[in-house]
Amino acid sequence: MRELSLSEAVAASTSRRGFLARAGRLLLGVSGGGFLVAALRAQKAEAYHFCGHIYTTGSCPHPVGLPRIDRNGFPLRAVDGKPVDDLGRQIDAVGRPVDPRGDLLRDPDGNPLPLAPRTRVCTAAGREFGFRPQIDGAWYRCCNGHVRKLVDCCGSVRNRINGDAALTGYCYSGRRVFCVMYYDTKIKC
Amino acid sequence: MVGTVGAARQNGRRAFALTAAAFAAGLALGATLVFGALGLLGETVHSRVLVIAAVAVAAAAILSDAAGLRVRPQIRFQVPERWRRTMPLPQALFLYGLLLGAGLTTYVPATAAWALPALGLALGSAAGSLAIGLGFALGRALPVLVLAARGEETALAERPQGLRALRALIAASLLLALVAGEVQAAGTVAAPAGDPSVVGADLAWQQPGVGGFLSRNGVKTQLPGNDPAVGGALVAWHAGPAVTVAARDTLAPMVQETIAGAQKLAVSDRWLVWRSGRQIRVQPLSDPSRSALVVEAKRVAELGRPALDGDLVVYHYSTAAGSWLTAVNVANGTRRRVRFARDAQLLNPSLLGPSLLYVRASRCSQELRLGPLRGGKDRVLFELPPLAGQDSGHDRGHTSQGEHVPCPHRPKPTTRILWTTALSDTTAYVTILRPRRGGRTTPTLIAVSRR
Repeated sequence: MRELSLSEAVAASTSRRGFLARAGRLLLGVSGGGFLVAALRAQKAEAYHFCGHIYTTGSCPHPVGLPRIDRNGFPLRAVDGKPVDDLGRQIDAVGRPVDPRGDLLRDPDGNPLPLAPRTRVCTAAGREFGFRPQIDGAWYRCCNGHVRKLVDCCGSVRNRINGDAALTGYCYSGRRVFCVMYYDTKIKC
Repeated sequence: MVGTVGAARQNGRRAFALTAAAFAAGLALGATLVFGALGLLGETVHSRVLVIAAVAVAAAAILSDAAGLRVRPQIRFQVPERWRRTMPLPQALFLYGLLLGAGLTTYVPATAAWALPALGLALGSAAGSLAIGLGFALGRALPVLVLAARGEETALAERPQGLRALRALIAASLLLALVAGEVQAAGTVAAPAGDPSVVGADLAWQQPGVGGFLSRNGVKTQLPGNDPAVGGALVAWHAGPAVTVAARDTLAPMVQETIAGAQKLAVSDRWLVWRSGRQIRVQPLSDPSRSALVVEAKRVAELGRPALDGDLVVYHYSTAAGSWLTAVNVANGTRRRVRFARDAQLLNPSLLGPSLLYVRASRCSQELRLGPLRGGKDRVLFELPPLAGQDSGHDRGHTSQGEHVPCPHRPKPTTRILWTTALSDTTAYVTILRPRRGGRTTPTLIAVSRR
């Protein structure tokens, strides 16, 4: 059984679910031994559609697919963390489209190609599904060696994105989780 | 049918000619009624599913006829035999022709016969569908009339290889027609070339690094400047800040002036419009000493190339919060946002009377759209894949349950970008940008049929 690193332990202990996971692992370790823990770990890795997600609420609509966001909630390409616009194109710091090498795309006159809309992922979900979006809380996990912040996109909704009943999760004031996103920090774990 | 038409030969050449003509007329009328109706229906229904289905039927017909497969389905209902006994022969044959031309009766010798009504419907043009129908009628009439004239009633039955060759020929013709239709639907006009404008048979464009060109009935003339625009009876271009407005037919200059920073021009009989920097400005050609601001972009917004039809200027305005197309009447100052999108990019509109042509780039496709200026349902004239792909929606080693990918079918992205447009009565023009190293792009001008 792999030892938890300090940062993972810190990240996991910062949330209720992290605490429960830790306590559960401890109980299993005591009662069932390492083999069973390893087996359950493997199941956990495959049970949800992205690392760190521990419930069945689906991803928020995202221009590329996996709901990776930056710290302001705007979409990033999951594979490399590059910012993308609503068309899924890689863009520069001010939102203009760039080519795969990062060179600004220009029209035949040499002017930069126009910006396309870029919408916060939770905002786009609210717009598409007709609710007032709000980000309330988050939880943390260690994914690919870095602390990942998992973010609920909340709203006054009865159902989540896949149509099942919505849960409270990390939403407050009666709001419930509609869909989930994540932000990969640079903090190693 | 060959025997029935051939029977008239016993009454002399005149009687045979009359009978043959009646049969041909009946075929033509039957085909006109059915294919004309299909064409009219096709004009009112614009469905991509219909086109895909028609192409699928045509592809199946090509394969079936090329391979000589059994023709299916078949109509077992034959023409009423008693008509030839109870009616004068020309009258009976006219009615036989009517039924055969309408495709309502008797066996068909080639599967292609089933592809024709489907294509007639999908074409979306009554005239085009009628042409298909008349071709179908001609194809049904000719073998019957030729064999009847030669008295070879059993020729096809005795020499089936003739029918086999005919089916192969039909398959090749259908394939050629589809390829030709595709070529006509979207063909390259010039490359490198972009920023088109068009009036009737006059098409102007810019060749990067070379200058403006004017094509009239296929004859290409280089203009003494850049960013040419045609409109009304005029053509405009600029060489640096020196802007020239000239007669379109003779290219004789009518107005010459200096406009600092002028980049993109648009012209009509009364107005000259240009984009310079973050502004679009207009000037009456009757008084070049005064100009007025049409729109000025804010710092984080971008303005498109203006297009002009009569008194109406259209342009795109693009921001990170959305993009929209605005039409401004420069004669009275009224302006109206004619299209708006918060999650897609609307680009480079052009205008012809009540019709608006523009590019809509969204997450899952790039479309060249034609629709009413005042709003309503747009038609997609041309489409390219989206500019970005998508990931699997889930991390490697994890379940797909809960993923949410943007496009229903995994898109195969392209680097080609739909760009500036121009619109004529029959044709829509659009520039396609192809990225090169360093972020630069090379334009190609293509023409797309409005049908």
